Amino acid sequence: MFLTRSEYDRGVNTFSPEGRLFQVEYAIEAIKLGSTAIGIQTSEGVVLAVEKRITSPLMEPASVEKIVEIDSHVGCAMSGLIADSRTMVDKARVEAQNHWFTYNEQMSVESVTQAVSTLRLSLEMTTAEKELCRPFGVALLFGGVDVKGPQLYHLDPSGTFFQYDAKAIGSGSEGAQQALEEVYHKSMTLREACKSSLTILKQVMEEKLNATNVELGTATPDKKFRMFTKEEIETLYKRSNNYNSVQTNRNTLWHLVFIK
Amino acid sequence: MNSERPVQQYFSPYTFNGGTVLAVAGEDFSVIAADTRLSQGFAIHTRDSSKDVQTLCGKTNSTVLGCAGFHGDCLTLTKLITARLQMYEHEHGSKMSCPAIAQMLSTVLYYRRFFPYYTYNILAGLDNEGKGCVFSFDPVGSYERETYRAGGSASALLQPLLDNQIGFKNQQGATEVPLTKDKAVFLVKDVFTAAAERDIYTGDAVIISVITKDGVTEEAFPLRRD
Amino acid sequence: MAAMNVPGFQDQLWGNGPSPGAVYNFPGIQMVLKLLSKFHQQRELCKYPTTTGTSVLGIKFDGGVLMAADTLGSYGSLARFREVSRLTAVGNNTVVGGSGDYADFQYLKSVLEQKVIDDACLNDGHGYTPKSIYSWLTRVMYYRRTRFDPLWNQVVVGGVHNGESFLGCVDKIGIAFEAPTISTGFGAYLAQPILRDALEKNPSMPLDQARQVITRCLQVLFYRDARSLNKSKKHLHGVSRVISRVMKNVLVKWNRQVTQQTLETEDSVPAGQQC
Repeated sequence: MFLTRSEYDRGVNTFSPEGRLFQVEYAIEAIKLGSTAIGIQTSEGVVLAVEKRITSPLMEPASVEKIVEIDSHVGCAMSGLIADSRTMVDKARVEAQNHWFTYNEQMSVESVTQAVSTLRLSLEMTTAEKELCRPFGVALLFGGVDVKGPQLYHLDPSGTFFQYDAKAIGSGSEGAQQALEEVYHKSMTLREACKSSLTILKQVMEEKLNATNVELGTATPDKKFRMFTKEEIETLYKRSNNYNSVQTNRNTLWHLVFIK
Repeated sequence: MNSERPVQQYFSPYTFNGGTVLAVAGEDFSVIAADTRLSQGFAIHTRDSSKDVQTLCGKTNSTVLGCAGFHGDCLTLTKLITARLQMYEHEHGSKMSCPAIAQMLSTVLYYRRFFPYYTYNILAGLDNEGKGCVFSFDPVGSYERETYRAGGSASALLQPLLDNQIGFKNQQGATEVPLTKDKAVFLVKDVFTAAAERDIYTGDAVIISVITKDGVTEEAFPLRRD
Repeated sequence: MAAMNVPGFQDQLWGNGPSPGAVYNFPGIQMVLKLLSKFHQQRELCKYPTTTGTSVLGIKFDGGVLMAADTLGSYGSLARFREVSRLTAVGNNTVVGGSGDYADFQYLKSVLEQKVIDDACLNDGHGYTPKSIYSWLTRVMYYRRTRFDPLWNQVVVGGVHNGESFLGCVDKIGIAFEAPTISTGFGAYLAQPILRDALEKNPSMPLDQARQVITRCLQVLFYRDARSLNKSKKHLHGVSRVISRVMKNVLVKWNRQVTQQTLETEDSVPAGQQC
């Protein structure tokens, strides 16, 4: 696709003669440079897991925040240009609070995603007042619980969003997604999902996985959304290493990592 | 406005058009009723304002709003709420629950805090667990959930009656029997007949809506027409 | 708001305290303050009615609606204009009648006429119905009262659409209702009981009887309403046409002395035409 670079890839609202919006496609490409993020939806709850890239030992790992809370029942994991996510997370939080204020009920995960997706649309429409006239370079995974139960949504820079049982985004997304497809089953427990997400992250990460370079959060009907502490991740990680069912998938995973 | 000389008021944006609303919540149902008289001063504009959404209007499958006070505001408010319900359904893909409508109505009313909708609203329906629920509002949006409530012109006549018959208030040795649907409807007819006796702004007919999980059934019951 | 003439009435919430909304940023406060400031200068904004028309009557009969109003434009107690039309046809199935300020009625009339022309220009086979005109008036009247700049009228809308007759009324603050009989102004007290009685006795009355009862009401109104005239105009809504008749004079019998005037009707006017 990049061989046919032309004048049509400059404006965000200019279609190429083939009917493509190159800037949007490039933005989707930008996600593939980001760190990997995984979301799994089970009947018990949703888990979101991301890798943190600690580029220097002098960097404070706790300051890298790639899973954030939108409302008490919804969390959001991201990959890509994290700075771009600020506006969107802000929007999501405001919409969620506004919904609660007006209707005294928690906003559904779908509606949160929908609200954020409209933001993308309006920014793509270049007007004189709008400063940022490029698509956002970030993809989001919204995980939460609402009246329909645990829900996972993926939103990409084009503003398109879909619901997923399990979804991976970022640099390792191709391998991770394939791994998810193999691991995922409808009767998966949340604990299994947490373990799988860490195992898969471990396989696709370039660095060695430890408790400081991953983040993990869950949303469950009773405890709502919460982040795992460093200690919780550590115990989870230790257990998942002895986890047999994941072991069986090891070979395929190694294979994928090898290709990478 | 502290001038000494008398100020003639040429135009008042409000009047009172009467109307009484009453709602009762049961275990798995709720009943809401409103009379159909629309009056102004000593004149009766119409004896059948059920078609004009003055007092009752079907909202969703499970919620009914009763609205009394200044009819112009009643019409505007109900129209606005109907539109908001439709917008919610388009945005969120589901019908609004009764508690959600209650909260929305509160914010809608409070938005006009300094030029209020002069309306007494009572909302009846089923909550998220399927239990009967009644919400009562003041004109500026303060609201609470109750088991029974009367609002509008004859509210002061009806409320004590309900306290006695449904609330069993201050009665020694009274056995509090749970309210059945038939008993509630029977009671509503009785208290409205009583209100029509003493309140000139209540009469002609009362429309009673019974809300259950199967939907809303409506019944009209004649009252005195003088 | 305006001071009330009640002893001990306090028109301040608390002395030397902040006025409502002065400290907090309430939602919608800007709009409200703007409206309230208008309310305080209402002397300039809210006119009181000058040239006025009195009652408008309307009744549903079997197959249509009959509306009537006299042709007097009063200037206070002065019977100033004796030949004004207070009923106007909107499109070919609706009639709007106005009591109250005649200038405001004329304004409404011109807006409605323009609306009908604009609608006709679209030529989309869709037209206004009595109900839609009524609904539009409801919003206009309510909007103007909310702006503290009311149209000082009570407007009666009648018509027939798809064989269904409609009769409704909107007033200057947006109170709106539909009813089988409507009378505005003094008519609410003098004519309404007669109309209701007649309709109750014969719920699907023929046109002749409707005409009789309306004439009777006009007569009663002329006797007792000092701002009325013994000359009126009637609008008749048949199944698909509006017929307008000018009634020359209502039969009047003052005490003993009889002024015999025949009930005379002028030629019927084709649909949609003013007279």
